[in-house]
Parts: sequence; C-alpha cells; structure tokens
Amino acid sequence: MFKTLKIVWALLAGRRKLYFAALLCLGVSHLFNYLAPLIGSVTLDFVLSGKIPEPGTLLGWTHRLMALAGPLKDNLWYVVIGMAGLTAFGGIFAYYKGRLVSLASDGIARDLRDRLYDHVQRLPARYIDTHETGDMVQRCTSDVDTTQQFLSNQVVEIGNAVLLLGIALPLMYLIDTRMTLVSLCLILPITLFAFFYFRSIKAVFKSVDEAEGALTTVIQENLTGIRVVRAFARQEHEEKKFATRNSRYRDNQYHQLRMMAWYWSISDFASLLQLGIALFAGAYWVAGGTLTVGQLFAFMAYLGTLLWPVRHMGRVLTDLGKASVSLTRIREILDTPEETPREAPGARPEQRLAGGIQISGLRFSHGGERHALNGVGFEVRPGESLAILGPAGSGKSTLMHLLLRLYDYSEGSIRLDGHELSTLDRQWVRSQLGVVMQEPFLFSKTLRENIRLGRAEAQNEEIEAAADAAAIHSTITGFKEGYDTLIGERGITLSGGQRQRVAIARAILRNPAILILDDALSAVDSETESLILDALKKRRGQRTTLVIAHRLTTVMHADRMIVLDKGHIIQQGTHAELSQQEGLYRRLWNIQTSLEEEFAAEVLTNLAPTN
Amino acid sequence: MSAFQPQEDTFHSKLDFALWRRLFQRACTYRKRVIILFIGAIVAAIADAAFALITKAAIDDVVLHGANALWDYAWMYVAVTTVLAIDIWFFIMYAGGLATSMSHDIRRDAFHRLQELEFSFYDTRPVGWLISRLTSDCDRLSRIIAWGFLDLVWGFCLITMISIILLVMHWQLGLIVLAALVPIIGISRYFQKQILLNSREGRKYNSQITASFNEAMMGIRTTKTLVREAENLREFQTLSQNLFAAAYKTALQSAVYYPLVMTLGALAGGLALWRGGVAVSGGFLTLGALVAFINYAGQFFNPINQIARILTEMQGAQAAGERVISLLDTKPAIVDSPEVKARMDAHKTAMANGEIPGEDAAILGLDGYPDAIETIEFRDVTFAYATGEPVLRNFNLTVHAGERIALVGPSGGGKSTIVSLVCRFYEPTSGQILINGVDYRQRSLAWLQSKLGIVLQTPHLFGGTVRENIRYGRLEATDAEVESAARLVNADGFIRALEKGYDSDVGEGGNRLSTGQKQLLSFARALIANPRIFVMDEATSSIDTETEQLIQKGLETIFTGRISFVIAHRLSTIRNATRILVIQKGQIEESGTHDALIHKRGHYYSLYTNQYKREKEETVLESAGAG
Repeated sequence: MFKTLKIVWALLAGRRKLYFAALLCLGVSHLFNYLAPLIGSVTLDFVLSGKIPEPGTLLGWTHRLMALAGPLKDNLWYVVIGMAGLTAFGGIFAYYKGRLVSLASDGIARDLRDRLYDHVQRLPARYIDTHETGDMVQRCTSDVDTTQQFLSNQVVEIGNAVLLLGIALPLMYLIDTRMTLVSLCLILPITLFAFFYFRSIKAVFKSVDEAEGALTTVIQENLTGIRVVRAFARQEHEEKKFATRNSRYRDNQYHQLRMMAWYWSISDFASLLQLGIALFAGAYWVAGGTLTVGQLFAFMAYLGTLLWPVRHMGRVLTDLGKASVSLTRIREILDTPEETPREAPGARPEQRLAGGIQISGLRFSHGGERHALNGVGFEVRPGESLAILGPAGSGKSTLMHLLLRLYDYSEGSIRLDGHELSTLDRQWVRSQLGVVMQEPFLFSKTLRENIRLGRAEAQNEEIEAAADAAAIHSTITGFKEGYDTLIGERGITLSGGQRQRVAIARAILRNPAILILDDALSAVDSETESLILDALKKRRGQRTTLVIAHRLTTVMHADRMIVLDKGHIIQQGTHAELSQQEGLYRRLWNIQTSLEEEFAAEVLTNLAPTN
Repeated sequence: MSAFQPQEDTFHSKLDFALWRRLFQRACTYRKRVIILFIGAIVAAIADAAFALITKAAIDDVVLHGANALWDYAWMYVAVTTVLAIDIWFFIMYAGGLATSMSHDIRRDAFHRLQELEFSFYDTRPVGWLISRLTSDCDRLSRIIAWGFLDLVWGFCLITMISIILLVMHWQLGLIVLAALVPIIGISRYFQKQILLNSREGRKYNSQITASFNEAMMGIRTTKTLVREAENLREFQTLSQNLFAAAYKTALQSAVYYPLVMTLGALAGGLALWRGGVAVSGGFLTLGALVAFINYAGQFFNPINQIARILTEMQGAQAAGERVISLLDTKPAIVDSPEVKARMDAHKTAMANGEIPGEDAAILGLDGYPDAIETIEFRDVTFAYATGEPVLRNFNLTVHAGERIALVGPSGGGKSTIVSLVCRFYEPTSGQILINGVDYRQRSLAWLQSKLGIVLQTPHLFGGTVRENIRYGRLEATDAEVESAARLVNADGFIRALEKGYDSDVGEGGNRLSTGQKQLLSFARALIANPRIFVMDEATSSIDTETEQLIQKGLETIFTGRISFVIAHRLSTIRNATRILVIQKGQIEESGTHDALIHKRGHYYSLYTNQYKREKEETVLESAGAG
C-alpha cells in the first residue's frame, strides 16, 4: 500500500503543483458550500425564532456578518442571495478544480502515452519479436487508461475525503462537540467495511473478466473459422460450446451482482443509520434545549456531504490496487533498455556512403549453440551488385539484420566505406540503406503516403515514377481512388505481390547508397520480376545492391554471387564462373537449361504406368 | 466495406420509440423480474421522499410538542431505512440480473443467427465488428434497458411525489421551488448530451491510438529501417494531443455542469427559506416544514440528473440497438426450403416407425434422397458476389464419383468460387448445381455439408487439445480412430513429440503450433470426417516441401473413392489429378489430364514449367541445406 502510494507520487512529478492547486480550489469550494448551511441555520434559529445567538460562537459570527447587510427579518431575500451566491462561488472554485485535475491527469496520461510510443519504437526489434503484441498494446493503452482514471478520479477523491473531514470537523466541533461525536461514530466502521469487502471480493471481479475473455475467444474462434464450422456442419456443436461460456459469464456476473447487492445495501443502511442517529440525538438535545434547530440543520447538511466520499473509500482503495498493477506493467516496458542509449548514439559521418562493404570473420548466434553466421567474410565494391543465395536457415536474413544494425554482432567486423559498423549511429546507418523485406509492412495510410515514407520531400511525379519502376503504377491507377487509396484495415487489402512492389517503390524513391532486397520479389511472377530487376539496373548508377533470394532467376542479374550454407560461404564468383564450377549454383543453373530434356523424360515415365 | 468498420455511433436527435419498445419487449420475457423491479423502484422513491417527512415531523414534534413522540419517529426512521436497504438489495439483484439475462439471451440469439447466415453476410463485415456487436453492444443495451427502466420509474415517482408533498404543504411555496427547478431539466439535458458527444470523440481517438501502437510494433523493422521514429512520434503526438483535448473538454463540461445545477438547487433552497421564512413568521408554516422544503429542493437534482442521463444514453445507444436488432432480423438466404424440411421430417418419422426397409434405410440420406453422391454438375452457372462483376459466366462442369479435379490458373479467375459453390457456401446467381441430377437446393444443407471435408490455405484450429481438434471432423470418433487419422497424414510423429501428446493444448486458434503442424491437423480432421466431397483450397502452399512430402501419402488415401476438388500450386498435388481444369476469367480454358495438357503446350504447359523450375530449385537448395 505504502509502496503503491510512492509509485503514484512519483507519477505526479511535474504536475504536483497542479494537484495542490486543485485541492486548494476544492477546499475553498467546500468552505463556501459549508457556509451556505450556516446561513440557513442562522436564519432558522435567530431570524425566525427570534433568539439571540451567543456572541463569540461560529453561529454568532455568522449572524453578525449577515446583520451587516441590514435588518434581516424584513429583508429575508438576502438569504436567497447569500445561499445561492455562496454556492455559486463554491461552484467557480469547483470548476477550477475540475479544470486543474483534468490538466494534470490527462496531461500525465498524454505524456505517458507519448513516452511509451517513443520508447517502443526504440526497443530492439528482437524484444518486440519475443513479446506478444496484443499484451504490449494493452499495456500501452488500457493500462494507461486505468492509470488515468485513477489519477483523475481517485487521487482527488482521496484528497477530497481528507479535505472534507478537515473542514467539516472543525466547523462541526465549533458548533457542538457532542453532535460531532455522534455524527461521526459510524464513519470509521463504514470505511473499514468498504475496504475489507472490496479486498475480499477482488477474485469475483477477476472471474467475471476471465469469463468475458473466454466468451470473446469462443466467439472469435467461431467467426474466424466459420468456413470450418460449416464445412463440418458443426453449428450445433459450436452453439453448445458457446452456450457454456455464455452462461458461465452470466453466472459469474450474477455472483458479482450478489456481492454488490450485499455491499450497497449494508453500506447504505449504515450510512442512513448514521444520519438517523445524528438526527434523533440532535432532536433529543433540541428538545432538551441544549441544541437549536438551526444547528441540527447544519449538522445534517454537513453529514450529507461527508457520507458520499466515505462510502466510496472502498472503491478508491480497490482502484488504487488496480492502478498499481497497471503501473507495474507499464514500468516493465519503460525499464527495458532502448537499442541505443540516447546519450551515446555513435558517429554520423558527414559524407553519404559510397557503398563499399567489407565483412570479415563475422559470427553471430541467436542465443542457441549453433551460429547463424560462422565466420563469413566478403567484400562488395561501391556500385556493385551482389546476390546471396542459400537455403532457408543459411544465414542470409541474419546478415541483412546485422547490416541494418537490427542485431549487433559480437565477433568479426563489418565496415561500410571503411567505418566499423558498430561505431556508427544506428539511425545514420539506416538512413544510408534501403531494404525491402519478403513480407513488407505497409502503414494504414494512402498508397501515396506509403511510398513517400521512402523520402518525405518527394514530389508526386517522383512517387509515380518510382511506382512505375516497381511495376505497380498501373495497378494503383486501376483503383478507384488511385494513389489516394487507403490501405489496411480501413481500406483495401493488397496481395502479397502488390505489397512487395509498393515496398520496392518506396525503396526506389529512397535512393539509398546500399539497397538490400531480402527475398523481396518472392510473391511476384517471373515476368514482372524481370521488369522490376531491369528497371532497378537502369536506375542503379552508383548504388550498391544486395539481393537475397532462393530463386535463380532473381539472382542471375547480379554482378557477383555468394552461396551461403549453414552460416558459411560455400561458393562465390560471377555467374560465368559459378555455372562452370561443380556445386549448388550449377545444379540450379542446370534446372533452367536442361529443363526440356528432364521434362520429356518425366512425362514419359509418367505416361508409362497410366497407359 | 468501410460502412461496416467499427465506427462510433451517430447521435440520434430523436428517440426511436419503436426500437426501444422492441428491446423492452425482450425484457418482458422476464415478467416477474420486471414487476419486482417496478415495485422496487416505487418503494425506493417512497422511502427517499419519506426521510424528509420524518425529519419534518421530528423537528415539529420537538419544537411544538416537547418531544413526546420522538421515539416513535426514530423507530419509523429505522423502519424506512431497513425497507430501503432491503429494496436496494433487491433492485441491484433484479436490475442487474435482468440486464445480465437479457444480454445473455440476445447474445445467444445473435450467435445462433450468425451460425445460419450465409458467407456473403460475412464478406462485408469484419470479424472484429461482429464481435463488438455480440459483446459490448449486447451488454450495453441490456444495461440501459434494465437500469434505465429502474431509474426512469424511480426518478419520475420521486419527482412526482416530492412535487405533491410540496404543493400540499404550502402550494405557493411549492410552486416557487418547482419553478426554480425547470431550468435544471434543460441544463441537464444539454450538458449530458455534450458530455456524451465529447467522450465519444475521446473513444474515437483512443481506438486510433490503439491502432497506432499496434502498427508501431508490427512495423518495427520498417520504422527502424526507414528511420521514421521521429516522424511517427510526431504523428502520434497529434493523436494523443487530440485525445487530451477531448478529455479536457469533457472535464470542463462536467466542471461547469455540476456547480451550475448545484447553484440552482441552492437558489431553490434559498427561495424556499425566504418565502417560507415569511410564512413561518406569519404562522402559516411550521419550522419543520420549512426544513423539509429546503431538503426537498436539494433532493430534486438527483432524479433529474438520472433521467437526463438515461435519455441521453438511449439516444447514444440507438445505433447499437439498430445494429443488434437488424442482426437478429436478418433472414438467412441459404436455408432448407419448406419442401425439404417437410421431406426430412417425413423421412425421420418413417425411419422411427421402421416403415423403410433396412436396405433402403442404409442408402438414404437424412433428407430421404440417396445418400451416395454419384455426380456433381454445374449447369449454366453464373455467379457474382454481392457487389461486382460476375466471377463465373455460364459455367458447365460434370464431375463423377472417384474423380479428382485440380483447378489451376491465375488468382481471381474463379477457382475458389467454384468450390464455394460446390459447398453451397454461396448459391448460383443463375443456373443450377445438381447432385445426382437433382438441384442441390432440393437437398438438405446439413446433409450436403456433413458430406464435405475441407482444408483451407490458412488452417484454422479451435482452442483445446490436439485430440479435440481432430475429432471436430467426427464428434463420435474413438481415440483410436483419431490417432489412426493422424497417422495417415503423418501427423502422429510430431503430436507424440508434444509434451502431452494428443492431449496437448494447441493454444488460442492453435497458436502454439507451427503453420505446417496446424495444416497437418486440419488434414487429419478432414480425413476423420470421411467426407464424400473433399476440397483443398491452396492447402499445401502454407507448408514447406518437407511437410508436404510427409502428407502426400496421406493425401492419396483421402482422395481415393471420393470426389475431390483441389486448388493447388504444388505439382505433386496437381499431376495425379484425373482431370485438370485451367480456370481463367470464370471459364474453363483448358481441360484434360496432365499428359494431355502438357502435349498441348498451352497455358497449363507454361504454368507447369514455371512451377517445375521453382520446385526444382527449392529441392536443390533444401538438399544443400540438409546435406
């Protein structure tokens, strides 16, 4: 509990003044609101009953103040002005309180969101890979909401309860000591009851949440798998499965309702009883002449305002628990180190890269025993194109990740134009490189905006030229809204090949010093692929190109190729050289050339058994 | 499509009474609860009004009669308190219970409806959208109906009662207090609406923020490689600032609203004190009555606020109500005709009475027609999806039992449409599909679909164990049968390697398994169903060559003796088909066996050679990886 309060206190940093100002406003507002009943009280006792208040008491002072306005008995409408005026003044301060609290709590939430977003973007890619996206998103959204709710409602509610007691208590004490004790006798038990009750039924709330989650899962599985359900005519089975979860959700809610019904009826009973005790004890003393009707009236008014926050204490305390869980979850993300410490970003050479790459003795492992790369070394001259060929798991993609500084190598060296990669600023390195991945990610923006991500200041004509080179221009203009077509959830869905081509247009527009195509044309048919590769060749100029693929037609266009297997380079050279050498490359090449013969043979063997 | 995105509701300026009446009628199936709730609301209103009266009586007793009846009033107070506490218990149980039960029932009916609706319904509605209808919309509407009913009855009763008491005690004074309250009603309505609109705006930004976070994580590599961090953050900050602005505006409106009505309440109290004070001085009113007046003036605000809130919420939830009602009202387009239903009933009765000879009973399907499927025929079939050009035009095809049809050709050519029509997931726009020469609309839907075995490109599993997932194909299958199906598709090996074997949990949607493993299970599931028609839609494209080789043998088992439709890229699956159809632009472009089509050197030939090269390359590469 104390620890949680400390966390909350830390969270308020930078906005504590706002909160204090808000509490101050709240206090002033309560003060005004408490003065209004005093006026009523004085009016009832002295003006209407004609008694003279004892000088020096609270009510005496109030009476004197009121009398300043003139003879009250004849000008009772002062009372209207007084009561409405005081409440209005109180209202103005209440308004400022609301304003300040929102500024503080919504401001904290906004900053927290921004901070989380910035941080998430700078986490190592591998951290995101190994954590469930759904859970991470939830931490960044609903956990922030929970925190915000707590900050805007409950932090003030705690302050409010303290303030109310702090203001009402002295006022009540000044009016009558006995009444103060009688009026507050049940307050503590009610608070304790609320606290322990809510704490003991935490599990009930959780069971409802869990039942709801299970229900949603069943609905989701059913709807996404509707084809399977129909294909096996399993509607009845599905409805039975759904009915179980649906009624469990209902029954858990019933259970929760029962707990709430007991809580509210008991706590309302106790609160009303507290009012009754004060009323009848007061009436008894009024009858005995030791209390006035006006004083009793004031007490009843105060008690009415005090009881509400007291009844809510239980909920405040539960919410405090929830907020502390949320905050811990948020902290876990924020405490994960970013991929580069902000204070030591690394070198950012002035000049644009020429595109030379020297790699030697490079080793890297994903954490297991086996090395994904085990002593790889090669060199690419500026402007050269190099193809990297190899089976799945040979280390091609790892190599790309290392070049982009998405992973960090520990052994060996990668040099770009002679600069050791690990000493360079990650962002600078990436700004020099362009990459297209096998499953490119497009943002839910328009096609134009997506391509423009390559270079923010690009003109529309440049965007269209890039799209044309990527053989996607005519597809785009075929859409009703052309380049302004929205993609993603709210727009259209592109096929894998279309997505790859948009990503290539994006990379072309970027015009990087080094372009990496990581199996970037796998979903594009061979004809279109050749078109794109030719266009890339024409535009290449001084650009270095790395092409990773497992299709020969893709890599054949490159100046030179290396063949990777299990983290080793097993072959390297030009197409002419490699197609002469015995090895993987030639075997692939043979498929292209000897197809006809093999084919004829295969057709014949197939014919034999059937005929 | 975008019309069905999970957008925020539009705010209706008028309440649609017909809609709410229909929703309320659903509540009335729980007549007992509604009546108890109605009584509970009135009891609560009476009790709430009674407190101020008791206070008045107590004060008058003390002031005028020297406290001779104070104990009586004290007991009365305790009695009212007890009644109210019990009443609170009841209405939480009954209003909450009613809301929960209604929500449960609407959800059940909507889910049932979704099981019947045809696929064209799903084509235009994202799953997420449907889920919100079944979860949050159901809960929200039921809550409004149940609690709104309670609050409206309670609020109107309390207001009426207080008004009557005031007017009876002193009618002039009563009128003054009531007059002061009129603006509170208007102000409450206005602010409640503003607050609702604003918080809805906040929710809109909130869901955009969620989408942004999702995108930031899914696209982390793209962001990093394009060095978009700063730009993205700037865009995000616009969103978070918008959310802040909306929240701030809502807070300000509440901050104005409550003090404003409080002041009006105080004004009403002050007026009562002033005019009442004059009356007390004149001896027309007791001191206790004056205190009661002031109390009542303050008590008005709560019910008015509640009524304003309920009405505003109803306006806001109207769109949700329309969506849920329209879902319940949607009539499924593909259902058994009355004639088919009658025949099924007749068949069932005849079977039960033993009127059908044994040999006939064995060969008849549940709709009374022969159970075996000898032929499937497309006769002049034209088909178009809800919006758009015909995908198939005057399509003709006859398939006989034992045939294995491979469908190849460019995407969008109509291959998947053909199999969807066979499965009767859609029905032809014109033309007929005949099974054994009978239009399949004269057969039972359940009968046809129980004859199907389908394996799709993206395998879909349900949460639960491996065993349960395979058994989904035939619920009454024994454990031995499940395991033998798994063995036939070569899934047994990996299943046994799992921690708990066949009893391993596959996770939500099967996410603890790899795509290839999931696909193997879906093959086993189709196999155990022992279908007459087997459909494979790109099912081998999501698995690697090695897994494909594993299931190849199992596939042969599945194909034997059935009608199968296979949409595939893999040559091994295509080559052995009894007939290959090249489908392009909704027409059969080429048709024949593999050898015949290769000799023809047409479209199939070029498709085949391309794919042949690809697969050869893969084999060479993978053999290098393995060697």
